[in-house]
Amino acid sequence: MKRKDVMKRNRKKEWIAGCFFILPSLVLLFVLVFYPLFLTFRYTLYDISLTSTRYLGWATYQRLFAHRMLPLIFRNSLVWTIVVVVFQFLLGLSSALLLNRSFPGRGLARGLVILPWVMPGVIAGMVWRLIYDPQLGLLNHYLRQLGIIAQPFTWLSHPKTALYAVIFSAIWKGFPFSTLMYLAGLQIVPQELYEAAEIDGAGGWMKFTNVTLPSMRPIITTTLLLTFIWTFNYFELVYVMTGGGPAEKSHIFPTYVYDLAFKRFRFGLASQFAVLDFLFLLVFSLLYIRTSFRREKSL
Amino acid sequence: MKRKIVGYYFITYLLLAILLIFVLFPFAVMLSMSLKAPDEQFTSPPYLIPHRPNLENYFHVFGQGSMFARYFMNSLLVASGATFIVLGVAIFSSYGYARLLFPGRGFFLALILLSQLFPLAAIIVPLYRIMGATKLIDSYISLIIGYLTFSVPVGVWFLRGFFLSIPQELEEAAMIDGCSRFQAFIRIVVPLVRPGIGATAAYLFFITWQEFMFALTFITSESKRTLPVGIFDFVGQYETNWGNLMAASVLICIPVFVLFLFLQQQLVGGLTQGAVKG
Repeated sequence: MKRKDVMKRNRKKEWIAGCFFILPSLVLLFVLVFYPLFLTFRYTLYDISLTSTRYLGWATYQRLFAHRMLPLIFRNSLVWTIVVVVFQFLLGLSSALLLNRSFPGRGLARGLVILPWVMPGVIAGMVWRLIYDPQLGLLNHYLRQLGIIAQPFTWLSHPKTALYAVIFSAIWKGFPFSTLMYLAGLQIVPQELYEAAEIDGAGGWMKFTNVTLPSMRPIITTTLLLTFIWTFNYFELVYVMTGGGPAEKSHIFPTYVYDLAFKRFRFGLASQFAVLDFLFLLVFSLLYIRTSFRREKSL
Repeated sequence: MKRKIVGYYFITYLLLAILLIFVLFPFAVMLSMSLKAPDEQFTSPPYLIPHRPNLENYFHVFGQGSMFARYFMNSLLVASGATFIVLGVAIFSSYGYARLLFPGRGFFLALILLSQLFPLAAIIVPLYRIMGATKLIDSYISLIIGYLTFSVPVGVWFLRGFFLSIPQELEEAAMIDGCSRFQAFIRIVVPLVRPGIGATAAYLFFITWQEFMFALTFITSESKRTLPVGIFDFVGQYETNWGNLMAASVLICIPVFVLFLFLQQQLVGGLTQGAVKG
């Protein structure tokens, strides 16, 4: 009774306090994120170079959709994101299941598996460049010893393999995050369900598909969305390993935006590609959240 | 029964070995190259274990004419500067988001999430032009400001989770005993959430320490460069000094690895709690 009174009296104060507490972060967010984002949207209507600014209006979007690089960038971005996300999911889930078993040295193993995710992106890019190097790289050497290839192959400068070579590194770099999430998820699967399934005579695989996966559904949903967004916008690996090359064949949205802006100083066009990236992710995330939410409700 | 246990361990360690070879191979490559003398670096075919491991590359990275120590200090300054500012701001706001009821709370929370949706490349152009117009380009301040754009939302989100994990009854009891909301926050809540603050600080330091795109764009003079851009000093137009580059890479990794080693528990908690709680 008394507690309720105090809380009621405080409600108005709460209001003011709330504004006071969140104001600094809101100001920063609006000045540093949403205002620049608004500017980016506005830049899309202009042709901006270092020296001149020319208003073009909505016609710029016609030029954007007819841009010769747009289909390639879009396809690369989708391939890059989907392959990376799917493999990070598979590898993350299976390594989490492995690291969830009990064995001596488990703590150490868990610590070691996180390391790729902790390694700074630029350094990961350089190390993988060294591994793929046709002369100095160990990958070609091992593949030749195994008899898979006869001659050293230039993985990063061949238009057919460049993007996939970076994809492989990106899977390596990012999968430990999924491992961490799924390991945490495995801890909250109710043990009674396993016991009940055992009584019903379920084997390992049955328990996995009927108990583990359904219990982990919310965490899998969240992790897939997070890794999708991060991978779609991941700049460093592609930029460091191929620079979008050879002949611009391995560009994805963020690297192409950066190239347009700071190598060719075409700020207007860069902003258009950036806005497309943002809108695609926004629509994708909204649809994803809606469908996964609905499915959860119907269960 | 005994055979079953042996089989269990055999399979577990076999799978673990495969996983760890995949995970650690690039680290082995990095370490190996950093310990090779120049004549060993360019042998054909290449090999993983150096025949005569030595620390020459490491001495060279710190040696005469090398800017590495300077880059290291620059990175330290920018990353810790950004971390402190974000912490100062985020401690208050994340508490506000976690506890206080005010109109528009859900909306503002959604804005924070929304800010994670666009690539940094989408706002770097306007920020670059603003920095140019205000003559801030090529200064530590410009980098710190750039880093706030992505670290403020992350910091708020992380800390909010830690605040939510503290029972509300503690503050309410303090307020019934006559504390104001602010006093309860400072005296009761902040001390309780200290491990969470440490983990958030470590994560913020981690993401700003390795930031590459802003550092590449906003800094033009060599003396203000940070490490992720600075290591490209070893990448020449025609050939790359792999030995020095990998030695520098090892040195750049050490601070973040140490941070993770000490704060692993809390960090994993901070990263996963939002998702686990749904």
